[in-house]
Amino acid sequence: MFLTRSEYDRGVNTFSPEGRLFQVEYAIEAIKLGSTAIGIQTSEGVVLAVEKRVTSPLIEAASIEKIMEVDKHIACAMSGLIADSKTLIDRARVEAQNHWFTYNEKMNIESVTQAVSNLALQFGDDDRDPGAMSRPFGVALLFAGVDEKGPRLFHMDPSGTFIQYDGKAIGSGSEGAQQALQEVYHKSMTLKEACRSALTILKQVMEEKLNSTNVEMCTVTPGSLFRMFTKDELENIIKDL
Amino acid sequence: MASSMSGPFGNSGPGPLWTGGPAPGQFYNFPGNASIPSNGAAQKTLSPVVMGTSVLAFQFNGGVVIAADMLGSYGSLARFRDCPRLFKVNDSTIIGAAGDYADFQYLTNIIQQHVIDEECLNDGFGYTPKSLHCWLTRVLYNRRSQFNPLWNTYIVVGVEDEKPFLGYVDKIGMAYEAPSLACGFGAYMALPIIRETMEKKPDMNQEEALALIDRCMKLLYYRDARSLNKYQVAVVTKDGVDLRGPIKSQPNWEIAHMIKKKNTGVRMNVVPYDQTVNRV
Amino acid sequence: MMSVPNMMSNPLSDYQAPNQVSFSPYEFNGGTILAVAGEDYALIATDTRLSQGFSIHSRDSPKTYPLSNGSVLGCCGFHGDVLTLTKVLGARLQIFEKEHNKPMPTPSVAAMLSTILYYRRFFPYYTHNIVAGLDEEGKGCVYSFDPVGSYEREVFRAKGSASAMLQPLLDNQIGGKNQQSYKVVPIPLKKCVSMVKDVFTSAAERDIYTGDNILISIITKDGVKSEQFPLRRD
Repeated sequence: MFLTRSEYDRGVNTFSPEGRLFQVEYAIEAIKLGSTAIGIQTSEGVVLAVEKRVTSPLIEAASIEKIMEVDKHIACAMSGLIADSKTLIDRARVEAQNHWFTYNEKMNIESVTQAVSNLALQFGDDDRDPGAMSRPFGVALLFAGVDEKGPRLFHMDPSGTFIQYDGKAIGSGSEGAQQALQEVYHKSMTLKEACRSALTILKQVMEEKLNSTNVEMCTVTPGSLFRMFTKDELENIIKDL
Repeated sequence: MASSMSGPFGNSGPGPLWTGGPAPGQFYNFPGNASIPSNGAAQKTLSPVVMGTSVLAFQFNGGVVIAADMLGSYGSLARFRDCPRLFKVNDSTIIGAAGDYADFQYLTNIIQQHVIDEECLNDGFGYTPKSLHCWLTRVLYNRRSQFNPLWNTYIVVGVEDEKPFLGYVDKIGMAYEAPSLACGFGAYMALPIIRETMEKKPDMNQEEALALIDRCMKLLYYRDARSLNKYQVAVVTKDGVDLRGPIKSQPNWEIAHMIKKKNTGVRMNVVPYDQTVNRV
Repeated sequence: MMSVPNMMSNPLSDYQAPNQVSFSPYEFNGGTILAVAGEDYALIATDTRLSQGFSIHSRDSPKTYPLSNGSVLGCCGFHGDVLTLTKVLGARLQIFEKEHNKPMPTPSVAAMLSTILYYRRFFPYYTHNIVAGLDEEGKGCVYSFDPVGSYEREVFRAKGSASAMLQPLLDNQIGGKNQQSYKVVPIPLKKCVSMVKDVFTSAAERDIYTGDNILISIITKDGVKSEQFPLRRD
């Protein structure tokens, strides 16, 4: 793809003669530098697991947050430029609360993802709208949740495209992780199995040795909704891997 | 007037439908420039000045009739005697208006401009009675919501899909459709007669309909002090709009002198019942 | 409204001051609505008269509005606001259906209507509203609103010009109020329909803003069915 690089990747909204938006494609590339995140949807609920890059022993690992609660029934994992995700998560939270305020019901996972994806292409390089963003977001998101259609997992990339998955991996280890996911995934997978598989795959693709401080994991189930795994719970699973 | 309005809900209201276009319920000036210069001063009709009175309309077998007299009253003064209050919009639609005559002229100008704009597009589309009635309802409702009403009651009639249409809308955006409509004093005095006749003769033809209109207009001239014996009538059928008039109905006051003042201290201006007059 | 000078006490009062005409953005156009929630149905009834003062504008203007999600809105008061509110609601339902790929559930319609009404808190829609439909379990549900958006789910409710005549009757007949050892059971549809006809007939005797016809809409899982029943026309 880089062979045809030319003046067409200067303007963020300029199509190349082949019909590509280079800046958006580069933003998608930026995800491949990010830490790995994995999501698996089962009939019992959805699990999200992410790698945290603790690059120095002086880092307080707990301050790195890569899984966030959007609403009681929706979680979001991210990879790429984490700072960019703040804007998107803010929007997701506002949309979810606004939906509950107006309609007195939980917002669907797909609708939340749609609402967030509307933000993705709101960039431009003219100065007409000072509030607008100057570049695409450099982050990909995994939305996991339960709604009236059951457990749902959505992936959204910087182009705003979103697709539902049974299992999806993003970030630097995504290629290997996605391959591994396809091998282990089956429709009758339990949530417990899924949690185990997620960590197993993370362990395979991570450069550092996986332990309870450099991963985060959460589940969203119809019964207990969003739930983060504690350090102890993580250790319990990790020791049996 | 129109250019000084930012929208029905101030700045928080719905924006324009397209760039440079009107917000929902606002006016659109072709080709995008304001036709009325703003002088900065608030212009509101909080009370009407020159007024028109009743408009009558009902459907008959194959069409609709509508009529209005031609008086423009300035309070109790019969100020203008040649004010047409029926406006032909196109070959299937006509509107009649009561209330402030200036507001009626203002809105007719806008409608006329819309009709011309539509005709410029030459795509075969234009106002239908239903769409004009709906548009008028939105305009009048938005104006009342800004406490800047257009002081009129409009009756929109026409033929759409070979079916008669009669719509009513007043200055606060209260609108409905019915087989017979009247506003002003006509609603109290002519409408009951029209309704009764329509119930007795549901299949009135055009001649019978026009005779009924004439009887009602005459009755209103006798009873409504703000009316005139000079009126316009329009017939809308699937073949088009036939706007007639001015028609002068001849009054008959022969027996007026027989009405004696009752001894109550209040002068009773009783005029003959229309049947009595018809007999003469 | 025109202020009418008292000609009896002062025959010249008409000429002393200009006749000031004041503008009121509201008008009362009458109409009564009534809704009952049954076990597996909801019923909503309306008269079909549209009036203003002592005039009848229309004898065929029902105050119930079927919504695109299968529920029915009853809406009466100032007809200009009714027309606007029903249009706004229709648009909001369409937008929701496109955005969320599902019809809006009746409880959500009620919640949304409450916010729509409250956003006009300081220039209210002068409308009395009832939403009737089925909830997510398929049970009949009725939500009633005041003009500024306060709402609650109820089993039965009358709103509009004759509501003060209908509500006590419903309290007694459906709610079992002021009856000794009365066991409150969900009212069967057939009994409900005949009772609604009776209470509207009584209301039309006393209330000049209720009459001409009643339109009864019955909402079940199979859709909305309507029937008309004549009332007195004077």
